[in-house]
This record gives sequence, C-alpha cells and structure tokens, in this order.
Amino acid sequence: MGIKHFVLFGLVLLAVPVAAQPSINSVGPSPSGEWTVYPGSYNSQRHSPLKQVTPANVHQLQVKWVYHVSNSRELEMTPVVKDGVMYIAQYNRMDAIDARTGNVIWRYERPPASTAAYRGTSVYDNKVFLATTDAHLVALDARSGGVVWDVAVDGGRRLSGMSPYIAKDKLIVGVLDQPDGYIQAYDPKTGKHLWTWHAIPRPDDPEYKTWSGNTKEGGGAIWMSGSFDPEQNAIIWGTGQPNPPYSNEVREGDNLYSDSIVAIDIDTGKLKWHFQTTPHDQHDWDATSGTPVLLDALYQGQPRKLLLQANRNGFFYVLDRTNGKFLRGNSFIDDMNWATGLSPEGRPILLGDGAKPSVKGTMTCPSTAGATNWPSVTYSPVTKWLYFHAVEGCGINFRASSTPGAGTSYIEAPDDKNRWVSHIRAIDPLTGKRMLDITEVRSNHYGPGMLSTASGLLFAPGHFGHAAMLDARTGKSLWHFNTGDFITASPITYMLDGKQYFAIASGTNIFTFGLPDAVPAAGGKP
Amino acid sequence: MRNVVFAIVLIAATPALAQQQPATGAQAVAQGKALYDQHCTACHGANAGAGERAPAIVSTATSMRGQRSDAQLMAIVKNGIPGSAMPAWGNRLSDGDIANIGAFIHALRGNALDNPLPGDVARGEAVFWGKGGCSSCHAISGRGSVVGPDLSNIAAMRKSTAIGDALTKSEHRVYGDGGVHLPSPPPMEYEPVHVVTKSGQAIDGVMRNQDAWSVQFVSLDGKLHSFDRADLRSVTVKPGSIMPSDYDKRLSADEFRDLMAFLTRQGTKPSSSGGGE
Repeated sequence: MGIKHFVLFGLVLLAVPVAAQPSINSVGPSPSGEWTVYPGSYNSQRHSPLKQVTPANVHQLQVKWVYHVSNSRELEMTPVVKDGVMYIAQYNRMDAIDARTGNVIWRYERPPASTAAYRGTSVYDNKVFLATTDAHLVALDARSGGVVWDVAVDGGRRLSGMSPYIAKDKLIVGVLDQPDGYIQAYDPKTGKHLWTWHAIPRPDDPEYKTWSGNTKEGGGAIWMSGSFDPEQNAIIWGTGQPNPPYSNEVREGDNLYSDSIVAIDIDTGKLKWHFQTTPHDQHDWDATSGTPVLLDALYQGQPRKLLLQANRNGFFYVLDRTNGKFLRGNSFIDDMNWATGLSPEGRPILLGDGAKPSVKGTMTCPSTAGATNWPSVTYSPVTKWLYFHAVEGCGINFRASSTPGAGTSYIEAPDDKNRWVSHIRAIDPLTGKRMLDITEVRSNHYGPGMLSTASGLLFAPGHFGHAAMLDARTGKSLWHFNTGDFITASPITYMLDGKQYFAIASGTNIFTFGLPDAVPAAGGKP
Repeated sequence: MRNVVFAIVLIAATPALAQQQPATGAQAVAQGKALYDQHCTACHGANAGAGERAPAIVSTATSMRGQRSDAQLMAIVKNGIPGSAMPAWGNRLSDGDIANIGAFIHALRGNALDNPLPGDVARGEAVFWGKGGCSSCHAISGRGSVVGPDLSNIAAMRKSTAIGDALTKSEHRVYGDGGVHLPSPPPMEYEPVHVVTKSGQAIDGVMRNQDAWSVQFVSLDGKLHSFDRADLRSVTVKPGSIMPSDYDKRLSADEFRDLMAFLTRQGTKPSSSGGGE
C-alpha cells in the first residue's frame, strides 16, 4: 500500500515538463493534487481543484497524523507536498516526511538551531531550497536531503524567512530591511546569482527623490513571497515598511518603494511598475499581506487582468496588473481612524496627521498588527469571493520621546471596545461589498490563512487553535477540530493514493486531516 | 571575537564578575527604560511584551516568567544569539548601559513577592476571610470558593499595582500588560455568564473558556459546566467582572492597606536561577 506513491514518483517527474503554455489560471507549478510552492499556484488564489471532500461528507473528516517539529516555536510555515513527501522548512533545517503517515524520510540540520520565523520552501527539479542563518542559500536533493549546492548569498546578507519561490526556472528569495530590502533571483540548478532588485532606490533611480534626510535607514523588507504572471513575464511582490518604522519626520516624501506592490521582470530583475499602498508610512503597514491575488475577470464590462490585495492598512485594492493602475478600493474594516478613504489614484486620504505616534500614545485603528497580515487569503472561483481574516480593533502607538526618529512601540488598545477581534470576512472583489462576516469567538490578531476548494469548502481555522471547515457560500460551520495551540500558518490540501488530505501547522505541530478509510467487510481487506 | 576573548579572561580571573548583575535603583531603571525604548522596542515591543520581530522578554503568563535569570538575559543582550537577528549589544553599548537595561527588565519582571506592601498581614488575612468577603469567590491554599481566580500564588504572578487595580478598577487586564504576542491561547477573563439550556434551565456563572461550538464555565455553586452551544438556548456573556471594584471605599484605609499587605505575600518565590534549564 505504502509503496504505491513511490512508484509514481518517477512517472510524475517525467510528466511535469509537458505542461501547456502557462497562464495565471493554470494551477501554476503544482500539478493537480500537489502543492509545490508556498501559495500553491502562480495566481496565489489558494483555491484547490480537489473535490473528494465536500460539504456533504466533510463532517467525517478526522486526524490522519500529527508531526511534532522538535525545538521549534509557533510555526508560521506552509508545508509543501510532492510525490508523496511533505517538506517542512525552517532556517537551517528541513524535515521530509511521508505525506501519508507522517513518518520521517530524512532530516537536514545545520547548526545552530534557529526558531526565527520561516515560511516554507518550494520543490522543483528534484530539489528543495532553504536559507541559513549564516547567509547561505542551500539546495537539497528532495529524495535524500543531500546538499546539491550551497552558495553564499550575493551581497553577504542573510535571507528573510519568506518561502523560496520558483517560477520560470528562477529561484526567488528576499532580504530584510536593514539597511534595505531586496529581491534576488538564483539559478535553481546551480545556485548562480542572476539579479537583485533593491526596494530602496539608488541615487540613479528617479524615485530616489521620494526620500529626504535619513534614507540610509531604508526599509522595504522582502519577507513574504508573491505571485507570478507568465503573460506579463513578471513576479508581483509586496514590500515592507520604511525605516525607522514609526518616525516618518526624519524621511520626508513618499519613501518608495516601501509598502508597495511591485512587478519585476523575472528575466532581468527590472521594475515594470509599482503601486504604493501606504506612502510615508508611520505604522509599519507592510504591503505583504495575504500574497497578491491574480484574477482574470470581467470588470465593468471589460475583460481585465486584475490584482487583488486586502492590505494591512485596512484598505482593499483592485489594480490592473498589466500596469499597476489603481481601479478601485475601499476600507474592509469598520474601525479606521487614520484615513477617510482613497483618492482616484488610490492614495489614502489622511485624517488629520494620520494618527501619528506620540509620546503619550496615539490610538490607531487598525493597529500596527494590521487589519490583516501575512496569513493567506483565498479566492474561490465557485463563489467569486475573496476570503481573509480581518481584525477589528485598535492599537496605541507610543514614541519614546519627541526627538526626531525616537524609538516607538505599540500595544493592543486596553479598553474593551477597541480590543482586537478577528473576523472571517468575504468580499466581492469587483465591488468591495461584504458578502460574509463571521466574528471569531476568541481571537487576538493575525489569525491563520485560508484555502477554498472546488467542492465549495472554505478551510478557515481559528487563531486559538480550531481547524474548521465552512460552507464557502453560507459560512456555515461543517466540521472543526481543536489542535490545542495557536494557528498562525496557512493551510494546504493534496491528493495522495486517491485520498484528499488537508494539512496545517499549529503551534509546533503539523496536523493532517482526511476522510476515514473505508470500513473493511468482515474478514476481508478493503 | 574581541569580547569573547575578554569574557574568557574575566571568567578565569574573577569568577564573581563573569555574571553581570543588573544595576539597582530608580535612576538605573529610568535610564534602562530610555535605552530600551531607543534600541529594543522595534523588535521586542513596549515593556518587553513582544513586538513585530522578536518574542517577549517579560510576560504575565507564568510560563514565561523567570525563564531566564537576570544574568542570563544580560549575557544575551551583551553577546547576542547566534543564528538569530539578536545582535551583540556589547559591541554598541557599555556594560553600564547593559546593567541599566537589566535593571529595567528586572523591574518589569518583578512581582508583588519581590516587594510586598507594608501593613498588618494578620489583620489583612482577617479582612480577606471576613469583612472583605473575598472567599465567596476566591480560594487560598484550598480554602474558599473556586468561582473566581485562585489567589494562592497571586503575589508570584502579579505586580502589586495589578493586584491593587483588581480591587479598585472595573477594567483591569488579567493578562497581556503591554504584550502583543501571547505565548499560548490564554484562559478567559472570568466574565459573568448567563446560560439557558434547551430544556429551560437557567444557570449563572463565571466563564473559563469558549469557542464557536462550546462554552465552559463555573456556576456560582462552584460546579464546572461544559456545554455544546447546540444544547443551549442562549449564552449571554457580559463584559467586565462580578468582582467589586470599590474595595478602597468599602474598606477603611487601614483595612485596605492590610489586605494588600496580605495579598502581596501570597505565593512562592521562583528560584532566582530560573526554572526549566
């Protein structure tokens, strides 16, 4: 029984390169039933074509196995699955386990052990990829865990915890914000560095003028992977906040390309367009939330190539992804006190000083933790809605002193009416209209990611540990299971030996769910 | 490399100096706070309760308290953590600065037991079991009611100010003072709840936990209940607490002082070397 999918191994490898001309609506790099890159597909819709588990039978879902990731901390990682093997990536470590039983196949560990947040890996060309804390990039043989290549990161800086991403035979990685974030491409076969795109402009870039004063602190961390649009030949990525994060008086100007959605030519590393969500940010509202979703749809009667993002700053954006032009947007939260809306160009219209952090503390809604954050959104072509966690409530942003650039911090608003409450929310992306709103009974912030399936399910776990399946159209709860720890990771689903599985990290464990095995007839085998 | 060599020399020469201790005094705490706010908040958050990029150093959750001793924490500040984003601050700050940061963290981590309030403890105990009526909801060392939080170890879990707030303020946080990231799903905050079952039975109690499918609460007779929501006609959770918040008024000034003296001594001091390592 267990041997079956290992035999399949070689066949799948042969079959992969024959894929048709890719588009964003192809499943991307993952063959149907597998999950080989962080968002599952190029379009980052996190929508699975799998239909074995349905609203009618999901109540039978049960735990298939649990894998404990020893010496880890609250995992924010999405596992990937290929050829019957699940890969669990962290800095300096990779666990390859049998996706059917949870038994370890191999483990790669390179000292020192690290519990820094790491979000996953990609499987490509018989390899899996990970960053090390001593600023190397490593490719492991997916079958054995052996090192295929191990290179020093170009520029010598440690890579961020974003999942290494594969598209068009390029391995895409990112670097954090001190002094500046950047995106890099490497050759996945050899580890050769191909290009670097800097999120903070160099003096010869026209947008260099969007910084005054202390530009050396930079920013623009690249800490989340994005999407790939084969037709535009571009990766579409979100960038992080400018530095210092909460003291914008020392960096007058819009501070491009911080807090931006950027399209980068995957062959050259050149910027094709950018759209900045929070110009001159003072609240650490990275444009990294949820992974930009690519969608081809009729918009106002015209077929359009769209990009959707529910942003940490509380606004939902629809862009034309061929040029980055703003099409529409609206606040997706009820509590917003820093802006009144968006201009026709998509620029936030500030309310007063935009809730500037102060020595005595400034109530800011949403909080720095974000109206939504990195956990994945999902777009379901079945309902045509976008689903995500929206966090209502406020934070208090403090400055240490009135000295320009003084350090700051934030806390959850202490009064009951402004405390953080997470909602599972669905909107019609073409109108921004709220279609579904489910208040989490208990929650704090961030919340887990989601996925949707072609059978009409929404896998929408709760932050406090319940794995839960909802009817994607009605929001009705169909199944739940208490995993016993925080869930701040995003789920996947995969097909193996004819069975559909769902998997998600909770705390320091990976939980996997599936339907019960057929009950054998008396005296016989199934 | 330089400071590693230096540390080895220090250990060999004067073992007593190898473990740096926090500075003492209010001025050291204030200077430590200023340094902390300038260098540490962006990662570890306000009051070391965790931030966007790094974990809590201080938490009201007992599992986090005392995980590392003052000396261990200051060694981490000085030398950094290899394989993480935590830099070696010994390269940028003086030992005096680090000792002041240590003083600030020590003050944050401190609890009521470290500095119990003055008063007549025996008379405070009499108020607790008598006029204060505390034992109608609370227990100490197995005596009293289990409806509210057990107070046997309260002075090792809370600061004196937090205990005082609970007696005098209607809105007081049971967990998460300043923290952004909680180490694990926290228990409920003892909100009063009124439940009516499908069969029409009404029960009043105090919450312990709930999710979208079930509720757990202790009724006023001290009995634990766990219901599926599907078996209940209604669940009404009222914000706030049944805890009176006017003890500074319903007790005399002496009685209140003595009660605080009693409460701020309830508990066992954790080992100074820190547990679990």
